[in-house]
Amino acid sequence: MLMKVECRMLGWGLLMSTALLLTDCRRADEVDPQDENELITTVRLNFTEQGTTTVNTFEFRDPDGEGGNAPTRFDQIKLKPNTAYNLTVELLDESKTPVVDLTEEIDEKADEHLMVYTATPASLLTYTYGDKDSRNFPIGLTGTAQTGTAGMGKLKVQLRHQPPVNGTAVKNGTAAPGSDDVNLDFELIVE
Amino acid sequence: MAIYRNRYKSVIVLKVVTFCLLLLAPVPVAWAQKEACDCFVKGVVRDKHTGQPIPGATIAVLGENKGVSTDINGRYQIERLCPGQYELECRIIGYQPYTETIDLVAGHEENFTLAEDEIHLKDVEITAHRTDAPLSQPISTLTGSDLAQTRGQSLAESLKGITGVTTLQTGSNIAKPVIHGLHSNRVLIMNNGVRQEGQQWGSEHAPEIDPFVATRVTVVKGAAGVRFGSDAIGGVILVEPEELPIGKALSGELNTVGYSNGRQGVVSGTLQGGVKGVEELGWRAQGTFKRGGNIHTPNYFLDNTGSRERNFSVAAGYRKKGFGAEVFYSHFDTQLGIFSGAHIGSVTDLLQVIKNREPLVKSGFSYTIARPYQDVAHNLVKGEAHYHFADGHRIQWVSAWQHNERSEYDLHRPRNDSLAGLNRPELTFRLTTFTNDIVWDHKPIANKMAGQVGISTLYQYNLMNGRPLIPNFDQLNVGAFLIERLVQNGWEWEAGIRYDYRYLTTYRLVNRVTQRDEFRFSSASGTLGVTRSISEKLSTRLNVGTAWRAPNVSELFSAGVHHGAASYEEGDPTLRPEQAINTVASVVYDNDKFNWEIGAYHNYIARYIYLKPQPEPILTVRGAFPYFRYTQTDATFTGIDASLGWKLTDRWSLKSKGSYLRVYDQKNDQYLVMIPPNRWDNQLSFNIGEVGRWQKLFVSAGNLWVGEQRRVPANSDFAPPPPAYSLWNLTAGGTLFITQKQQVEVGVTVHNLLDTAYRDYLNRFRYYADEMGRNISLRLKWKFGA
Repeated sequence: MLMKVECRMLGWGLLMSTALLLTDCRRADEVDPQDENELITTVRLNFTEQGTTTVNTFEFRDPDGEGGNAPTRFDQIKLKPNTAYNLTVELLDESKTPVVDLTEEIDEKADEHLMVYTATPASLLTYTYGDKDSRNFPIGLTGTAQTGTAGMGKLKVQLRHQPPVNGTAVKNGTAAPGSDDVNLDFELIVE
Repeated sequence: MAIYRNRYKSVIVLKVVTFCLLLLAPVPVAWAQKEACDCFVKGVVRDKHTGQPIPGATIAVLGENKGVSTDINGRYQIERLCPGQYELECRIIGYQPYTETIDLVAGHEENFTLAEDEIHLKDVEITAHRTDAPLSQPISTLTGSDLAQTRGQSLAESLKGITGVTTLQTGSNIAKPVIHGLHSNRVLIMNNGVRQEGQQWGSEHAPEIDPFVATRVTVVKGAAGVRFGSDAIGGVILVEPEELPIGKALSGELNTVGYSNGRQGVVSGTLQGGVKGVEELGWRAQGTFKRGGNIHTPNYFLDNTGSRERNFSVAAGYRKKGFGAEVFYSHFDTQLGIFSGAHIGSVTDLLQVIKNREPLVKSGFSYTIARPYQDVAHNLVKGEAHYHFADGHRIQWVSAWQHNERSEYDLHRPRNDSLAGLNRPELTFRLTTFTNDIVWDHKPIANKMAGQVGISTLYQYNLMNGRPLIPNFDQLNVGAFLIERLVQNGWEWEAGIRYDYRYLTTYRLVNRVTQRDEFRFSSASGTLGVTRSISEKLSTRLNVGTAWRAPNVSELFSAGVHHGAASYEEGDPTLRPEQAINTVASVVYDNDKFNWEIGAYHNYIARYIYLKPQPEPILTVRGAFPYFRYTQTDATFTGIDASLGWKLTDRWSLKSKGSYLRVYDQKNDQYLVMIPPNRWDNQLSFNIGEVGRWQKLFVSAGNLWVGEQRRVPANSDFAPPPPAYSLWNLTAGGTLFITQKQQVEVGVTVHNLLDTAYRDYLNRFRYYADEMGRNISLRLKWKFGA
């Protein structure tokens, strides 16, 4: 499928290109299934109130990736005030069959990834990292979220991709290096 | 649509034989020469390939108001000339004018006696380049020492010195030529007579051509669709190698160029000659190697901006009597590192970089090319054959095959280790193109009218792998044209007409099912031009030409985030072809002290395709991106190119070039984005001349001023256009004659002498980093043989 024989060498010696028209091996109408690289189509936030097993799940979902159809789901995050939650995040590629769970891959490459949670106003929610990579920097796949007093605002969820530059690790625990793989402003309601 | 021939590089030899006939008179010879204005010049104009005479050429003696045309046998004769020095000008329809100084001083009377036919005989060889460029359009040619000074640079960079030509850059090592504000699919490049077919639509896709192949690079400014086919809306760039050395001795040259910035080195060599015992054969082999590392701005290095290029070409030709045939193969291969600081994931990332004013990652020097990078290979095989009929007709056939393979590697490898281990490009395009062109030049009618009729076909298919960007497609183009040129009483008229048809089929996956779409585009083009020589110093030209361009597949189907630009771009399958009507008027004046040229143009492009900002952003997993859709409007490109050469004294001279351009979206009543700002370029030279075995020694200092682009639509950009900048440069050069047949040309240039930190509006990475800082280059060209 990937390495189809391409008859580029045919041009050699066959300058009479009318003849060449008839000898083309690969045709444009055989479209390659696109892109085996992963796509993040779904970001799922699981808030579990501490001391309970009640899981509140909020999701962003754009199954065909960027463009095409608009995202099918972009939930409002509704949380109780002054409550501690365990927060885990799942990142999925639902454009593939079967669905690819990218959370594991990010965990394996924890040295170059960082989840960042930023609430505005900041008083709505405080996030504390619950995991660490091999260099003792946070990852953010699990952690705790402590809500403040009731109010409305946004929760920005970012996945910073911070791969090494020229072989030197750049991840330093802050959001600055690298670029966004996820950058979503969830609506946040604490009531 | 391809109509091309490499005919513009064919050469004629104007063999001039001057006779100074002394009257048979019983007076001493020494007296006779003073009063006898009975010298005459005569000769034959011939085509170098074939030895066929060329009728209808105009031979004028400048300043003498004397001129004749060659007869049906290519012969001419100008009589009643006094002894002295003259400028002889030869003009032939379809050729660029050529002048040659001839000496009719009869200083050798002792050499002949009255009995010996009373003649003074001298051979002057004139070679003139035939051109397919419209004669009534402004043309600039880089050749000889002007071209030599640009050696080592990319094709687009080397054309920057031409008035009205700028570059569109992506960082410091990817440059595309811009003619009168138009670029990419609106500028056509003819590489050795073959229409260059790469992925021109991409603003970060530089032309896949090694400039060392060429000895002449000509820029035709303005729409030239009739001769060259679709896409020639902004202009045409003709990249022409030297004529093959049929039957000549071995010769060659070796060029080496070193640049301090990026510690770049370039080596290029050419070897050429004939074949002993077979007078009809000639060959050439050429190769270039280029390697550069990270570029330094005045304050920091740009990470991952190295480049590597390996190119070669071989050619062989055969000529006998009226018949000629040639084969040419060239291979171009480059790896271009892309500044890693320009990778952004979201609009937030971009705004952060703009706010910081400088990149977060500032690396040191390295030659390593890491991700992100481009790996591009271009192969061209060309065959050409022509035949001159004895009665003056000529027919030519050019057939070419091109294969362009472009792989783009993103900064991030797949997270999945087994996929990452494959280190595959995230994007691969394979474009294969076959072109065929047949052109018939009819014999001049009444010695006044020459012309040609041609038909060209192109078949092309594109295969994509990786991230969906453009669909697979195949397309067939057919075009036919007729151009006639008439020369009469100082007026040269030119008129032409063309019709093109394109059948495009695209194949893309929609919900995992291949969808096939068909498009049919067609258009007529025309040209009408006139050149008037008012005096030998002053001439004017006027040309009205049209050209068309079918929407390309990216304009029809692209859908996705454009990462460098942090925007979501979407195509529109209902787009119609663009149609340009370009009017160019120019005046050229040339005397001993001054030469100037001023040209004004107005290019009206109906259904101009551009990215129109949409009110609602597109939401993605990486946040909201500004949403742009390919849309059509009517645009006008109006500008002036002016240049002045002034010989202040024998040694001092000044060159000044300026260009002004105003582009307007007539439908929406606003300016358009990414238009080159006005610029003014000045160069003061001091000519040292000869010192010992050195010749043509000179020193020059120059300044380039580029204005701030103020004509931009409101709220259309993440950052305002950068302010105006002014750059100084210094150049010195000369030629060292080792022997008569061996010479070394040396040049030293300091670009950006004051290490000025600046940004250019037409660099797509202007958000991320400054332009290149000071750069000192040393060029050596060793030439041997003929």
